[in-house]
Amino acid sequence: MNDPLQDHLRLLNRRSFLSNAGLGVGGVALAGLLSREARAANTVHKPLAGYPHFAPKAKRIIYLHMNGAPSQLDLWDYKPQLEAHFDKDLPESIRNGQRITTMTSGQARFPVAPSQFKFAQHGKSGRWISELLPHTAKVVDMLAVMKSVSTTAINHDPACTFAMTGNEIPGKPSIGSWISYGLGSESDDLPSFVVLTPKSVGGQALFTRMWSSGFLPTRHTGVALRSGGDPVLYVQNPPGVQPGDRRVTLDALAQLNAAGHRELGDPETLTRTAQYEMAFRMQASVPDLTDLSKETPATLDLYGPEVKESGTFAHSALLARRMVERGVRVVQILHRGWDQHGNLPKDIARQCQQTDQACAGLLLDLRSRGMLEDTLVVWGGEFGRTVYSQGTLTKTNYGRDHHPRCFTMWMAGAGVKPGISYGETDDFSYNVTKDPVHLSELNATILHLMGVDHRRLTYKFQGLDQRLTGVEERHVIKGILA
Amino acid sequence: MRSAPLSLLLVATGLAAAEAKLDFNRDIRPILSDNCFACHGFDAKKRKADLRLDTAEGATAVNDGVQAVKPGDPEASELIKRILSKDPEEVMPPPESHKQITPAQVDMLRRWIAQGAVYRKHWSFEVPVRPEVPAAAKGVSPIDAFLGAELAKQGLAAGPEADPERLIRRVTLDLTGLPPTPAEVDAFLQDTAPGAYERVVDRLLGSPHYGEHMARGWLDAARYADTHGLHLDNERSMWPYRDWVVKAFNDNLPFDQFTTWQLAGDLKPNATREQRIASGFNRCNVTTSEGGSINDELLFRYAVDRTETTMGVWMGLTAGCAVCHDHKFDPVTTKEFYSLYSFFYSAADPGFDGNILLTPPVLQLATPEQEKSLKEFDARIVAHQKAVRDAIASLKYVDPATLTPPPPVRTGETVWFEDAFPEKAKVERAGNPTTFVEAGQGPVHSGRRALKRTAKGVAQDYFTKGASFDIPPNGVISVWVYLEPTDLPKSIMLQFHVGGWNHRAFWGEEGAIPFGRVRTPEKVNAGKLPEPGKWTQLKVDIAKLGLKPGMKVDGFAFTQFDGTVYWDRLAISHRIEEAKDVQWSFKFWSEKKQGSRVAELPGDLQNLVRGKKAAQWTDAERKRLLDWWLENEFQGGKDKLDGLRAAKLAEESRRKALNDMIPATLVMADLPQTRQAHVMTRGQYDKPGEAVSRGVPATFHPLPKKETYDRRDLADWLLSPANPLTARVTVNRFWQQFFGLGLVKTSGDFGSQGDSPSHPELLDWLAVEFRETGWDIKRLVRLLVSSAAYRRSAAASPELLTKDPENRLLARGPRHRLDAEVIRDQALFVSGLLSPRMGGKGVRPYQPDNVWEPVGFTGSNTARYTRDTGEALYRRSLYTFWKRTAPPPSMIAFDAPAREASCVRRELSNTPLQALALLNDVQHVEAARAFAQRILKEGGATDETKAAFAWLTAVGRRPAASETQVTLDALRAHRARYAAQPADATQLINFGESKPDASLPAPEVAAWTLTASLLLNLDETLNR
Repeated sequence: MNDPLQDHLRLLNRRSFLSNAGLGVGGVALAGLLSREARAANTVHKPLAGYPHFAPKAKRIIYLHMNGAPSQLDLWDYKPQLEAHFDKDLPESIRNGQRITTMTSGQARFPVAPSQFKFAQHGKSGRWISELLPHTAKVVDMLAVMKSVSTTAINHDPACTFAMTGNEIPGKPSIGSWISYGLGSESDDLPSFVVLTPKSVGGQALFTRMWSSGFLPTRHTGVALRSGGDPVLYVQNPPGVQPGDRRVTLDALAQLNAAGHRELGDPETLTRTAQYEMAFRMQASVPDLTDLSKETPATLDLYGPEVKESGTFAHSALLARRMVERGVRVVQILHRGWDQHGNLPKDIARQCQQTDQACAGLLLDLRSRGMLEDTLVVWGGEFGRTVYSQGTLTKTNYGRDHHPRCFTMWMAGAGVKPGISYGETDDFSYNVTKDPVHLSELNATILHLMGVDHRRLTYKFQGLDQRLTGVEERHVIKGILA
Repeated sequence: MRSAPLSLLLVATGLAAAEAKLDFNRDIRPILSDNCFACHGFDAKKRKADLRLDTAEGATAVNDGVQAVKPGDPEASELIKRILSKDPEEVMPPPESHKQITPAQVDMLRRWIAQGAVYRKHWSFEVPVRPEVPAAAKGVSPIDAFLGAELAKQGLAAGPEADPERLIRRVTLDLTGLPPTPAEVDAFLQDTAPGAYERVVDRLLGSPHYGEHMARGWLDAARYADTHGLHLDNERSMWPYRDWVVKAFNDNLPFDQFTTWQLAGDLKPNATREQRIASGFNRCNVTTSEGGSINDELLFRYAVDRTETTMGVWMGLTAGCAVCHDHKFDPVTTKEFYSLYSFFYSAADPGFDGNILLTPPVLQLATPEQEKSLKEFDARIVAHQKAVRDAIASLKYVDPATLTPPPPVRTGETVWFEDAFPEKAKVERAGNPTTFVEAGQGPVHSGRRALKRTAKGVAQDYFTKGASFDIPPNGVISVWVYLEPTDLPKSIMLQFHVGGWNHRAFWGEEGAIPFGRVRTPEKVNAGKLPEPGKWTQLKVDIAKLGLKPGMKVDGFAFTQFDGTVYWDRLAISHRIEEAKDVQWSFKFWSEKKQGSRVAELPGDLQNLVRGKKAAQWTDAERKRLLDWWLENEFQGGKDKLDGLRAAKLAEESRRKALNDMIPATLVMADLPQTRQAHVMTRGQYDKPGEAVSRGVPATFHPLPKKETYDRRDLADWLLSPANPLTARVTVNRFWQQFFGLGLVKTSGDFGSQGDSPSHPELLDWLAVEFRETGWDIKRLVRLLVSSAAYRRSAAASPELLTKDPENRLLARGPRHRLDAEVIRDQALFVSGLLSPRMGGKGVRPYQPDNVWEPVGFTGSNTARYTRDTGEALYRRSLYTFWKRTAPPPSMIAFDAPAREASCVRRELSNTPLQALALLNDVQHVEAARAFAQRILKEGGATDETKAAFAWLTAVGRRPAASETQVTLDALRAHRARYAAQPADATQLINFGESKPDASLPAPEVAAWTLTASLLLNLDETLNR
């Protein structure tokens, strides 16, 4: 909890400072200065006592969630031998009676659909990558590609809930909320956990539960930075109200609340005054965050031509960098539209076109600023897709159903071994054959990189020490650590 | 964080005698439960070293000469040795568990063993017995006697009663969710006769707002919402249940009936409408219709949810742990969980909710007049049907497919609109006057002119009287459209009226024009918008629109959302080749339909057509099908059939229009045949293990001996005097509502991992009192709010804050932040904007743009938020439409739960987003402006009197001189600013839908608006 006395003193100091300096633009700039000062005191998003548990490799994380489940077969998991199996039935020895969704369980047969995209080797690591990801291919030596990720749910809603909260049942805290709860953040004038939901063509639903704090205190809920309307809800003053007017209100409010506090002694009263001040600072810091006018053309070019258009993935990726730069602990970008049951070749190409350059650009931008060393970037969906075609299979068109048994994700940056490939799948990219990675283990690894022992990050709820990685024994994936 | 048990507080404050007798449940069980039971507890599968510490037998058993607990001899007890061991192989709990027992706890374990290591059943599993009320002065209520005894033990003195102004504000907000009016405050101040406070309480308990306020907490527990909650998250009609909860609280329905109706109202013989609505409690869970889901898994999940919710709400048990394994801390085995689950596993609702508003079973809530009308419709439809059948009997049907040569192909077209609406049609509109554009002056496709409309939002030209058209067989409706390239609509729509508006086709954005239920003939997605700047012919099949040959269309509408649209030549064409037409040749129909599902057929015929080839139909079967086909499909015999059939269809259409107006609600029902429940191995839906029958956990009182049980027995069992939990859990939740924290802080967990009660005797006294006085909720509430503890001043000295930071001892009065709904309702009430209307469908008040849209599934009928207008903006927050995957942000910011799962305790956070919402959200700014206008008109002549009125209205008391000073300083700063910049003033006071009072000067209203906003943001205003 906040130290009310500390907050109060800071507030008083700040107020006299501001009133000397006058308000408006100057005041805003000063607010920026002061927030850095306050950062040292770290009173707004304080970590829990004893956190981090050990020296972290990653101070912050950007999680790129490709919602709907990108096809591992058409992007990462190169299976050249499948050519020979075109339109032949998936051998029963591979499927082995495993559960499939009711969207294809009624199909008469399961014809193998080799990827129609060309793969080539890239980088010093010689990683095989599909032609759909030309930009990511150029930075592949920065990535640890995990081809053996698996999950249990077979439909979007439970699988996304699992990917984001470690549990299929709604109501658990999201990974960002857990990190915010344990580690707080270094920003005094932005939330500790921010979510971006760029536009896409159609797509599955997102749910606020994917960034909800569940049973953790609600201040750890992700703040969804919006592409339409105010970027943060209610951040704009009403029409006809200027920052100076607000200052008048807030000064009066602080005085009246202080009098109330003298009478009743409730510490929450002072916290409230402090939160109003934080809100005032956010009103300056959020517009500053979304103002890209000081970005150089070279930087903008990294993210691709759509970078200036609010609501695109590229724009979101650049905002993500700007946020972690300002001390936000967790940024998640949830990009929809990866659910290719049919017309996969055309639709996945569009999805890649929207995201590929910006993903690579983000890594290059972070690296050029020396931030990749302590920023963790994660990329992936909620499950994978089937090797057999859903619906009609032709040489140029096919669809793929949901496949939770194996899919590909990558991590890059702080503490991650660059340029490696981890885990193997069988010839049909159907089952994991080596070094399996359960999503909960991935989460354990993320926490580990951030200096947190996932077994000790707990919160008592419904009588249990709840944790992100669940009740089962889970291990950090040592093989991808630098 | 878990607070230190009171006994620790005692040790810490040095007030307890060193050798005070330890209580197993209060002092020892929490230590063992937290550190040991996971491996040495109830769950046999996870038990290590065959040692269990949750029972005296287990703990004192001698194994290989080792005894974990040797009563009376701590030093000989292996438990103590292991805890103190320095050997990582030996020490308990093991290092990898990350659990640690503190020295103070070891000391307590030692003393407990020395005192004889007495075990007792977990406190909450023992049936509460009414304890003796501690001796106290005359007139002291039992509640205060219990609290007073504990305060005395701690050496703390109870504080004074709160000021009357603060007291009446506290109790009014707590009982109605609205603040007191100045008149109510003054009446209370002036009422110096004894019993003044009690009279206020009685008045408030009689207010209809009492039920609205009390319902909210229950709706959190019941996970009530207006959408299904998963995947598409489409709308569901559940609000009659919400309104029933309000009414039940207002009627003071005793809690036992409140329980039975909700858990088993549907099973009561001759269940009343209210009882059936109440059974909707078990239909409030989230459901899905996501393609690819597996039915068995969904049925499993719903039953698990219902079991967990019921056990959590009534008994405070976290039974969900036992879905996958025996509960580690509480005596609920997996098998017992599934025995409880079995009560719910036979529910009649389907796994897939169908994404529809009314997933069966549902209860239609017609008024007596509506019921009468429906019956009259039915009678008329039967009569029409008979006429049709008689006419068919007189037909001599010859199948055209059997003729050589076959009958010739026929085509035709009827124009419905060209240059004008039909001659006698009574044309109406929504939006600007209807306009036509003449050829040469704008785009016209054919004839002399075209219909032109420019709109913002939804607008249309239509008629429903004065003309009608026949629907031909195989009809295709076509219309020519031209979209202005510089002013595009979001969507365009054609609507057809057959008794009611039940047939629509739209092009463009689905959510834009809000009419009709998506993916039904009421709202058919006919494609994208046509290319702008050129005439395009749009076509749609009558079959898709649910228009049947023989129907008479007695109206149509050209509708659009935004943009400028030109319409021309609406026509219907047809082409008939009798021998190859399912509506002319029964032979052709039979061949075409066999093996497929024909939804229109009655059930048994449906199975016949689907399951059996036409060649195998018996003569009798063929005859029944032919009769049905002639009656419903056949398009020949026009002279004999046409008028008759049209009359029947029109009657059916009118019945549907009435039917759609009648609200309905999801209710609970069981399948006629019980569905066999199984233990699901490790909680996996596809791994059924041992079969189980309905039953309750063995640690509790048994069910009466009977052949079979249903939910009524479960409700009775929960309400039995032998049930140790229901009454305790319930009174605790009410305690929490009024005092901020429950006597048991973990109000959702009364198991061994939950917190111990701060005042166990008080809890038991209240529980027994509540049950023995007829589960009378208003009586209980009156008891709580009449206590001296509730009435105390909330002023906290630094000493008290250190000794009792959470105020569990209640030496001071309770103070906490208002709930989300109360904060909004209070602002509306103070401003005079609040609508007094109760009940009805959820409303859509102000909400920022882009809250639903970025998360909504494209095809969902809640993908796009269209806010209501007028009075609907100012209803109590209880009535706000609740979309679970994107709940109202102004509620979520103040800790309202998403309603995806049951919630019995809300957080009370304090965040910058709350500040932003209260300062900037249009509904709060508009409320501040309306409040400002009240201040100017009702606040007297001077700034001082106005400030006093404002404080009294917002905070319930008159301000101190210094407070007036600060308020007026702010006012004067705002006044100077808006006098200098009146344009800003005008902008500010025009924010929101309601119009500012033109008789008041804008700068003055603006200055007071910001001053009113200041008062509405005071910490004092946001707390009670």
